[in-house]
Amino acid sequence: MAFTVEHLRRVYGSLHAVDDLSFHVGEGEIVGLIGPNGAGKTTTLRCLAGILRPTAGRVRIDGHDIVEDPIEAKRRLAFMPDEPHLFEYLTVEEHLRLTARLYAVRDFEPRARALVEELELTGKEKSLPGELSRGMRQKVVIACGLVRDATTLLFDEPLTGLDPIGIRKMRETIVARGRAGAAILLSSHLLHLVEEICTRVIIMDRGRIVADGTFEELASRADLATIGSNLEQIFMRVTGRDTAT
Amino acid sequence: MNAARMMFSASLYIIVCSARNRIRVRLRRLREPRYLFGAIAGVAYFYFAFFSRVRAGRAGRRRRAAPMPSPDVMAALTASGPAAAGLLLMVVTTAFSALPVTSSLLVFSDAEIQFLFPAPVSRRQLLLHRMMRSQLGILFGIIVFSVIFPSASGYARLQTGISLWLLFATWRVYFAGISLARTRLTDRAASARRTAWTPMLVLVAALAVVAISVARAFATRPVESAQDVLSRLSEVAAIPVVRILLFPFVALVRPFFAEWPWPFVLALGPAALVLAAAIVWVLRTDEGFEEAATQASARQAAARQARIAPAPTARAVGWTLALSGPTEGLFLWKNAVQIARATTGLTLIRYAVPLALIVVSMSTSVMASRNAVGLAMALCSIAIYIAAFTVMLGPQIMRTDLRDDLRHLELLKTWPLRASAVIRGEMLFPGAVLTAIAWLALTCAAILSAAGFPRLSLAWRMSGALSALLLTPALVFAQLMVHNAAAVLFPAWVPLGTSRPRGVDAMGQRLILFGAVLLTLAVMMAPGLIVSAILWFAFYRFIGAAVLIPGAVICLVMVAAEVLTATEALGPAFERLDVTSIERVE
Repeated sequence: MAFTVEHLRRVYGSLHAVDDLSFHVGEGEIVGLIGPNGAGKTTTLRCLAGILRPTAGRVRIDGHDIVEDPIEAKRRLAFMPDEPHLFEYLTVEEHLRLTARLYAVRDFEPRARALVEELELTGKEKSLPGELSRGMRQKVVIACGLVRDATTLLFDEPLTGLDPIGIRKMRETIVARGRAGAAILLSSHLLHLVEEICTRVIIMDRGRIVADGTFEELASRADLATIGSNLEQIFMRVTGRDTAT
Repeated sequence: MNAARMMFSASLYIIVCSARNRIRVRLRRLREPRYLFGAIAGVAYFYFAFFSRVRAGRAGRRRRAAPMPSPDVMAALTASGPAAAGLLLMVVTTAFSALPVTSSLLVFSDAEIQFLFPAPVSRRQLLLHRMMRSQLGILFGIIVFSVIFPSASGYARLQTGISLWLLFATWRVYFAGISLARTRLTDRAASARRTAWTPMLVLVAALAVVAISVARAFATRPVESAQDVLSRLSEVAAIPVVRILLFPFVALVRPFFAEWPWPFVLALGPAALVLAAAIVWVLRTDEGFEEAATQASARQAAARQARIAPAPTARAVGWTLALSGPTEGLFLWKNAVQIARATTGLTLIRYAVPLALIVVSMSTSVMASRNAVGLAMALCSIAIYIAAFTVMLGPQIMRTDLRDDLRHLELLKTWPLRASAVIRGEMLFPGAVLTAIAWLALTCAAILSAAGFPRLSLAWRMSGALSALLLTPALVFAQLMVHNAAAVLFPAWVPLGTSRPRGVDAMGQRLILFGAVLLTLAVMMAPGLIVSAILWFAFYRFIGAAVLIPGAVICLVMVAAEVLTATEALGPAFERLDVTSIERVE
């Protein structure tokens, strides 16, 4: 079932950050959300995560409305923001434990151990966020998101601050979660990453969707047919930044 | 344009633009009702706290014609004041020179370090810029002081203002020089070490010479009066060597004592000369500037950061969070861990010392007014004040609840939890801690109550103590509820973490919030108190003082019900709470 967005709109004063957005991400799908700065990607993800209240429209996670039934919707959701927000007084281990309690994770201990190892946080379990590098803090946020079986994963620039090994592991982790059936929405400026791991791409500009489809679908669109199947070229064209035209 | 003129104009540009923009921001935010109301409340507070009192004092003085010191004393003060004040200034300056304190003139902002340090300007020009920038702060402080300074004439205010400015400006510049010299005390080059040690050794030697002269003047015969002290100091200051050694200090304080207008204007000359000499000395000893400035700025930045978010230590707390249980317990654990890791000995001293001072001074004044004596009575009085302070001001001070966690709202909003349980959970830890402190103090007071309240019977004292114990959680949680409700309903009013917005408007906001808390507390307590009053009239004649206890139980139960109802009612508001209401739109 995964998640559905219907006519989502979010307004800040007179600014329409997100305007009439509709899309669906099914189980096992990894959808890339790309767009220029200020396109509304982060606002969209924050509305999906229940952080921002939509001005209009609906967001349903596995059929549960994020506004009307927030607890059930959030239970199925994991949001990994671009800026790692952690409690400065809780250690890495305590963050994982806190998450386990919040989401009623059953086999917490082996899961946490495996994740700590997978994300190369071994030896940092007793460290506070202030003692970790930005990349490490990002890994803690990701570990908290993955320690439970969320059916919907939202990643906002997940590779920011990670080292090359971390980037590689993160890529593998996202793909593995997608294969396991999670619906994944990934916002990133790294077009090669999106091209590599996403099964579909949504391009936003000025709060609206300007393109939505698989790479093949986008490449075969009449207005994009002449520029090839390179995502960067497609992105430039649909957002009007293609100076060659 | 040469480098000096370029730096001067750049410095002036930074100062003027920064000041203008700061004023603009403050004025612009008055468009928001919360700042407008805050500004009105703040200005009203200032008016009633200072200006109206000054006016009333002036009128009172006119009516009372307050007695002036005798002409002899006034003459002695005018003649010997500069010498005595100069001597005091010398002692203070020497003492501060020995302390490892870095001058604020060497503290540069991050932007200044990023923009000006790599710029093609000399260290002297950077120091001049910093000196120019520091003038705004000094001037503002002096204007405020001059306004509230109890004086009959505007000229006297002007004289005090100018004198203070010369004194503080010189003081700052001098300590910048001392801070710079300190960086070279252990320099490898002997000449640098000599240059660094010279000012401090000269100062100490000068103080020693003056101290010996003062000691001789006072050792010959016993002191007869204050006038005698002043005249002897005046004699010491007249000794040629002492006069030379004291010159810079006396010159700086003489404008305070000079008569208006011409003697004052003449006194300004030597004071300005001392300031100029200090500036020249600092500009010539700028060798250790980069090191001193970088260290001072880093220390300042660390201190600022520590005030915003104190660096915690990962110490074990001996409490592992259970993997299942109620939401409230989760927040109790989280906030307890936070406090356990954030609290250091230094933090405790920071809060405990002022608290102890307040409580002891209040207790002493009460004891004095009642002619009370005895250690037990004193301790009883102190314990009651600790309890009262904890209950009435504790919820305002201890902010380890939603007020602090608004910083993490983005994270909290993603958690699958009932909003009302989150609010209750956030209140649990501060409520429990404050209740425990107040209970401890009240128990001590109850034990000592025989000495503290000798006229009351045992029944009255025990009933009163038990009632106070029962009412404590009611009062604490009711106030916490109001503070957390304010955080949910008016999040923009709540300063995040330990940061505090500045300005008259921000101060007014805090006053309004405090008034609202007291008002709401009165409203919340009212039903319980009414029922308690009915109980009193119905049963006092039968059970006496013990009637206080069921009254307190009823108050506690009713407030608990109100708090539960209020948290449930606040749930939907928390769900609607938008992160953009506490942070800027991206």
